[in-house]
Amino acid sequence: MSLPIVICDDSSFARKAIARALPDGWDVDISFAENGKQAIAKIEKGLAHVLFLDLNMPVMDGYETMKIIRKFDLQTVVIVVSGDVQEEARTRMMALGALEFIEKPINNAKLVSILNDFGLYEGDSKSLKRQQGNKTGSELSDKIDLFREVCNVAMGQAGKNLAKLLDIFVELPVPSVSIVHSNELSMAIAEIDRNDSVSAVSKGFVGKGLRGEAIILFNDTHVASLNALLGYDEQDELSELETLMDVSNIIVGACLAGVANQLQLNVTHTTPIILGMHCNLEELVSKNVSSWEELLMVEIAYSVSQANVNFELLLLLPKDCLDVTYERIALIGEQSA
Amino acid sequence: MPKSKKVLESTHWLTGILSSLEMGIVIVDKDFTVEVWNQFMENHSQIDTTDIVGNCLFGLFPEIQENWFKRKCNPVFALATPVFLIWEQRDYLFKFDTSRPVTSNADYMYQNITIMPLLNDQGKAEKLCILIYDATDQAINKLRVEGLNAQLQTISRVDGLTGLYNRRYWQERFEHEFKLSIRNKSCVTLIMLDIDHFKAVNDTYGHQTGDEVIRNIADIIRQATRGTDIAGRYGGEEFVILLPDTSCENAITVAERIRKAVMGTLIKYEHHELKYTCSLGVADLHGAYTKSQEWVEAADQALYAAKEGGRNKVVIANTDSLNDE
Repeated sequence: MSLPIVICDDSSFARKAIARALPDGWDVDISFAENGKQAIAKIEKGLAHVLFLDLNMPVMDGYETMKIIRKFDLQTVVIVVSGDVQEEARTRMMALGALEFIEKPINNAKLVSILNDFGLYEGDSKSLKRQQGNKTGSELSDKIDLFREVCNVAMGQAGKNLAKLLDIFVELPVPSVSIVHSNELSMAIAEIDRNDSVSAVSKGFVGKGLRGEAIILFNDTHVASLNALLGYDEQDELSELETLMDVSNIIVGACLAGVANQLQLNVTHTTPIILGMHCNLEELVSKNVSSWEELLMVEIAYSVSQANVNFELLLLLPKDCLDVTYERIALIGEQSA
Repeated sequence: MPKSKKVLESTHWLTGILSSLEMGIVIVDKDFTVEVWNQFMENHSQIDTTDIVGNCLFGLFPEIQENWFKRKCNPVFALATPVFLIWEQRDYLFKFDTSRPVTSNADYMYQNITIMPLLNDQGKAEKLCILIYDATDQAINKLRVEGLNAQLQTISRVDGLTGLYNRRYWQERFEHEFKLSIRNKSCVTLIMLDIDHFKAVNDTYGHQTGDEVIRNIADIIRQATRGTDIAGRYGGEEFVILLPDTSCENAITVAERIRKAVMGTLIKYEHHELKYTCSLGVADLHGAYTKSQEWVEAADQALYAAKEGGRNKVVIANTDSLNDE
């Protein structure tokens, strides 16, 4: 009888990527879940002797799911597959009883070695057969989903850097990816209040068709706590700028490196420029946004609740970067197959 | 040409290009000991490569704050991520003269800095490459634009003849102050004043003399008010003064001071000498006002009553018809 397994991830691209990485020789019966709630239901039906579980998901995240599994002693072996690669994320999940923690992006070699380690599978590692049924779709929604997952992994690496440097735990959201017209940009930015006073720096990046700007935006009311977190005590205009630049260097550098790695590109960065200090969002956007076209917008709201700090990373790219990303990923997939 | 010779030649060219780039290139190790120092750095610092290689950066350049710079370099070593510093943070890293000593209009070279990790075969950052970009022109242009914008802002807010706020900007401040005072329930009073028989002044002595009278009353208003008061030219010969944290009684004192000062002034302009008076209406902020305009109208009606009552008078707004809170 085949071994029933469940792959739980909110991204369809990520679910398929895990399915593709499974070795052909492993006799399994795969079903999918989009969040923890669906996964729990499948476990209860006996469909998940092994559960591949993502952490950051809407409805019910991986931590919550793991707590329920533990509380009700549900029969399943959990392997975490996550883009949140902070040491503490791993420690928390292992303490809750996860068997292993795999860092995204997942591949066949990583997965097979873990299945081997735990005696779940011992045959050939080849996974050609599974490549077929789990191709990424080419609809716009598939491309957006793929792009979200690429950003998800990249922002996890950036979060890990920040966590490591400041010795804190950074809460990572699900990145929001949307296509917006540049004249409705300020309306589209969901996490910043219209009336808040904000400051922002922007950095350009370019690498073989992938191009855009990475903007770090913060709410001025959080600057004092962010200053304290970074160890600047005096609060003046200059130390605020230092803080803004430090965060931009750490987060943007790591995030762009994360995207570039996944797409196997080398990305050139420009020197950052200050878009504005202490102005409202509307003013900031109208003063700076001069291109009138459809944009791909990624909004990532980082927060450190232990220090009352929130800030936002915005990636703005021309819409055709969706195709560039899709084609690069497809190409890399073909090369590795 | 054999391949190895070609490689050698292109390496030779690359070395030449790196040394003549208009950009400083410095490589240091974990202890900030200099390993590479290009031509740009030699020329601007007047320190030869042979003299600096092997020495610590900090000892030679007192302008580099050691703690600050080490802290900026920390993520480059720890996370192998590039770090960018812009001239808005610190004008420069190395204090060099400007590249154009005559026409650049700057005292030194403004610099943008990129610090890149140089990785060893294990992917660890063991050395740093510091790139120094000359950002002087960019900095000077931005500072100039900011200066001009500040000037423009002043010009757009101030009435040219009197130096008081113009009506548009006064109105903006007034609306803001109105909302604030309603919220804070604070005491704030408005004075509206108008030069008596101003048309006759113009008709008799000419517009130039009229302008002199307007300049004079503006000076009197300036002298009678505090820095926190908001005074503006509302119309031709009409003025408004908003007095925050001021009761009606205190505002009457201010209004009387202005009225008496005006009455006691002898205007001498060219061959003319003339005296003039003004009328004033005073209205404190009343809880029953729901719009800022109602408040202005109350002051305006008090001013009208002062005119009707014979001019050269201060009249307080009648609030009896309003329902108190």
